[in-house]
Amino acid sequence: MSNVLEVKELTKQYSKVLAADKVSFTIGEGEIFALIGPNGAGKTTTIRMISTLLTPTDGDAVVAGHSIIKEPAKVRECITYLPDEAGAYKNMTGLKYLRFMAGLFLSDIDALNAAVDRAKEICGLGDRLEDKIGSYSRGMIRKLLLARAVMTKPKLAILDEPTSGLDVINAIEIRKTIKTLAEKEKMSFLLSSHNMLEIEFVSDRVGIITGGHLMVTGSADELKERYNAKNLEEVFERVVIENEVH
Amino acid sequence: MKFINLLKKELSELINLQMILGLVVAMGIFMILGSIMDTTIDEAKEETTNVTIRLCDRDDTEYTQELIKSIKEDGNNVRLFDTDGDDYAAILKDNDIKDLIIIPEGFTAALESSKRPELITVSRMTSAATLSNLNVGTSSGLALIKDRIAADVAQKNGMSEQDYAIVENPVVVRDNTVVDDKSAEISPSDIMSKIAIQNAVMPIVVFVLIIMTSQMLMSAVANEKTDKTLETLLSAPVSRGAVIGAKMLAAAIIALINAGVYMFGFSFFVSGATDTVTEAAENLIASTMSVDEAINKLGLSLGGFDYFLIGLQLFFTIMICLSVSLILGALVNDTKNTQSMIMPIMMLAMVPYMISILADINALPGVLRYAVYAIPFTHTFMAIPNLMFGNRLIFFAGLIYQIIVFIVCIFFALRIFMSDKIFTIRLNFGQKSKYKARKRRQQKAEEQKK
Repeated sequence: MSNVLEVKELTKQYSKVLAADKVSFTIGEGEIFALIGPNGAGKTTTIRMISTLLTPTDGDAVVAGHSIIKEPAKVRECITYLPDEAGAYKNMTGLKYLRFMAGLFLSDIDALNAAVDRAKEICGLGDRLEDKIGSYSRGMIRKLLLARAVMTKPKLAILDEPTSGLDVINAIEIRKTIKTLAEKEKMSFLLSSHNMLEIEFVSDRVGIITGGHLMVTGSADELKERYNAKNLEEVFERVVIENEVH
Repeated sequence: MKFINLLKKELSELINLQMILGLVVAMGIFMILGSIMDTTIDEAKEETTNVTIRLCDRDDTEYTQELIKSIKEDGNNVRLFDTDGDDYAAILKDNDIKDLIIIPEGFTAALESSKRPELITVSRMTSAATLSNLNVGTSSGLALIKDRIAADVAQKNGMSEQDYAIVENPVVVRDNTVVDDKSAEISPSDIMSKIAIQNAVMPIVVFVLIIMTSQMLMSAVANEKTDKTLETLLSAPVSRGAVIGAKMLAAAIIALINAGVYMFGFSFFVSGATDTVTEAAENLIASTMSVDEAINKLGLSLGGFDYFLIGLQLFFTIMICLSVSLILGALVNDTKNTQSMIMPIMMLAMVPYMISILADINALPGVLRYAVYAIPFTHTFMAIPNLMFGNRLIFFAGLIYQIIVFIVCIFFALRIFMSDKIFTIRLNFGQKSKYKARKRRQQKAEEQKK
């Protein structure tokens, strides 16, 4: 399996805070990789660096063969990013929003229409797409944004807390969509979440990050076995304690 | 293509029902005000051209009868009323009039005994508005009566008509106005009556432009930041320059539409007043020179190149607003704070605007003058007067200063947008102190636990 993303010792130092410290991991084609950790662990900073929004202090990441430092424009052509608690333009209709966003990625009108049709199908909002986004519920906005993030078939979709603030039904639907796209369309995902039980269900591999350090990576089963834990929460607890001891 | 897509999105965000309604209401208000102004001025004009002197002769002597007759014979419209008592409100109400001159009993007797006779005037005041309280009938009637009595007294004392004419109007004033090194035979007040109202339009348009442009762009950036749509936008394959450029251009287009509507509306409002005032001034100085001729002779008229220069300065004013708004919008962490962030720009526009209405900025005392010059918007408010009165050096210095300010502001704005700062920089109004207080409370609680 070829790597879609290779993160090499990615570091971000704010004036007094080391938000990410030599973070390294890879994501293969069609793989769902999740960064898990508590609030302020460095998940969003790492994701923002890979999305070319923040410049790393040190290290690099290569997305589909393009360096985020040397070719950020090329990287942006291969990725889509869904920020945590992101909104959309309230005065636009859902359909207009999808067309606008597709227009930023695609110049060919047929490809653009195909991407919008695909998003319509994925989000499942039906006729509500004709309504203004201002009238949507939180769950509807999240579905619209997820459809937006995957409609152009990016090599890597980066989703920060994809189900945060959603009810159980909406969260399950979104997780199912992510899994289906990875399995059937070989789309790669980089997720972040502090909900470890959710990640155990959806991801192929996880990386536990705390205090800016990526402590350990592996599949949920591997990690549970290695740390003799019942679930990822227990794995996380033991990883943190182990790190404190060392 | 992508830029057009972004621009269309920005325009559709800015052009909403609220904005269109605002423009329609503003236009409607100006049109209503314009027609009210027109009617009021027409009424005032009617009052001054068809003067009716309302008189009540309570003295009723041969002299007063002769006095009224002579006023009538001079072609004045005189209406006589028969009233008594001093309930003046009732007198005006009963006769359905708004002013009256009463010649009281003993008027002739006082004159004959070389005393100053009394006249009583009664005027109804209906509002504080200047034009609604014009009582031309009373003032004309009083002037005619005074003139007639003065002539009679002069004749009684053996003064010739020629001498009396000199006493009545002892000097002939020939007004001359000098601008720079040119002069014209006209009074400064006549020139002002023509240019003052016209020049009032420009500062209002500039003020509207500055405030609207800033608020629109600042809100656009702040909303994108708080909704996190900016992160989505900047992670898409479009350059940050295109994102900023589309935002700036959309805000500038909408601001110009607003300015155009305000300029048209305000011109409609002042046109009636300007025409009437100019007409009056033309009538007064018809024997010497027309106001337009005088303005041309004094070099106060603006040519095509002058208007190009004014447009250029307006352009840089908008560009400064846009670049400052980008910086302030990036600092906003909460859309509610946008209103507070507009205050610095509003103050910077308000100070030169108010001063330019009340005083000549170029004539302010040293330090104060340079302090006002340091506000970049000052030079926009001064553009027309500077070009009119030949202060070209000050105009061009102002223009160069504005260009420098724009370069500095856009440099910092781009530095914020092109770097991580757009996501990390923020001004928290009172949030820092709240955070510190919370931390102190937590520390205290932990110490108590220990």
